[in-house]
Amino acid sequence: MAGQTPDMVTLKIPRPLYERVQQLIEGTGFRSVTEFATYVLRDLAAQPALEKRPARKKAPARMTAAELKAARQRLRELGYL
Amino acid sequence: MKRLVVIGLDCLTPQWALESWLDDMPNLKALAARGVGARLHSTSPPITVPAWTAMLTSQDPGMLGVYGFRNRMSYEYDSLQVTNATAVKARTVWNHLSRNRLKSLLVGIPQTYPPKPLNGIMVSGFMTPSKDVTFTYPEGVRGVLDAAAGGEYVIDVKHFRTEDKAALLESVKKMTTARFRAFRALLRAEEFDFAMMVEMGPDRLQHGFWRFCDPTHRLYEPGNPFENVLHDYYVSLDEEIGKTGEAAGEGASVMVVSDHGAKAMEGAICINEWLQEQGYLKLKEQPEKRTRLTPNMIDWQNTRAWGEGGYYGRLFMNVEGREPQGAIPPGAYESMRREIQEGLESLGDEEGKPIGTRVFRPEDIYREVKNIAPDLIVYFGDLNWRSAGSVGIGANHLRENDTGPDDANHLPDGVFAWDPGGAAAASLRREERYRIYDVAPSILRFFGLDAPEDMIGQSII
Repeated sequence: MAGQTPDMVTLKIPRPLYERVQQLIEGTGFRSVTEFATYVLRDLAAQPALEKRPARKKAPARMTAAELKAARQRLRELGYL
Repeated sequence: MKRLVVIGLDCLTPQWALESWLDDMPNLKALAARGVGARLHSTSPPITVPAWTAMLTSQDPGMLGVYGFRNRMSYEYDSLQVTNATAVKARTVWNHLSRNRLKSLLVGIPQTYPPKPLNGIMVSGFMTPSKDVTFTYPEGVRGVLDAAAGGEYVIDVKHFRTEDKAALLESVKKMTTARFRAFRALLRAEEFDFAMMVEMGPDRLQHGFWRFCDPTHRLYEPGNPFENVLHDYYVSLDEEIGKTGEAAGEGASVMVVSDHGAKAMEGAICINEWLQEQGYLKLKEQPEKRTRLTPNMIDWQNTRAWGEGGYYGRLFMNVEGREPQGAIPPGAYESMRREIQEGLESLGDEEGKPIGTRVFRPEDIYREVKNIAPDLIVYFGDLNWRSAGSVGIGANHLRENDTGPDDANHLPDGVFAWDPGGAAAASLRREERYRIYDVAPSILRFFGLDAPEDMIGQSII
């Protein structure tokens, strides 16, 4: 795979997988494993955008203060706290 | 192609599902007869979080570093935070299956919000804040859930602490029906190897209706209008189990599992009232009425321990060099912990009669103690009593819950019924009680995968 440049990073994958993919892409038009991996990952990462309903709000990595307050209140109501 | 469908029923309790009412639950009975039907010993504590995550990672709460719904993020006094999926660092069953190119279809599993990518579909569990956030993976699944549920997909019931029992019953039934319908629609529409749903209804209904249905509960009144609510709900769950087995298709294996059970609640021990009486906890001012204890009410320099309420008690100690205003010299920590443990264990009911309280030190019950565990974990009256965290009560005992009506506490045993099919059914390791940690290795074995070394359970096939 390509070395580190400002726009690119290096990914590490197991060598047997690399070699298997190398065989897999022979004669397919993909010129390198990097090109194929980029295609597959891009396709996967783009999936939600292709679906019918537009995103309303992204899931936050952590809950917001209001959500945490609501969660605490709910847990208390449910008897967990 | 092997397929496995797991029906998770939060709080489904063995004394009813496997004993009293088994004859009225023909689908569960047949499943148990074809394979196994047994008790499943839960985590300590036997609570939804961390029990489901422990089941699906085969790691104990100490290894997970998740001790309950709220965990201390630091030794600051106000650091208890509600946990979510980001706290789960261990690999789940579906992580292992995804790595082996097996597709999972997951609906409603607790502690899965926010959803993380997987090979398959995930609908997050009941701690999802609302349906306005991304609670499914892929995101687009959210848009089809209501239609799949045949109306409205319900994450969890609202207004649980209500005296309007008829309304609560209706809302739980609606939620249960919707979740099973949505799950079956996904089973029919999607390709999958492993599918699992968790329905919260049994937990919600048992906490709300136990007194009406259990003749051994002190508030039970024969002939009350809700006497058969739980029985009839269990029968309806059995119908859902049957329909779901059919939707799974020919040859699919079905497992029914719960994270813990339920039993009658005798009352509550006011942990912070007792700590005050014993001189371990000092408040700046004594409240005149029942008040939830918050860190700003505590005179920390003169406080050595404080507690939290819930189905079990958690006790935290105020240690010099650890907490900001620690009052226990580190050298005195162990002896004081032992002293508090013995004091709690010898606390009886209002009349001083023993209630069998058990107190655990985390390092004695977990293989590792990651993150910040409570200093002591308390099962008041062996979980026949709950822990009330409020102050201003003026007594160590309450015959009701301090945060609203509740009739049940948790039983450390849940339910496990499974027919793995074919040769596996014949070679099942038969026991009266399996461990919650045995579930994940059994699922992996079903798919021909060995359990990784960090799983502490044993496959039963």
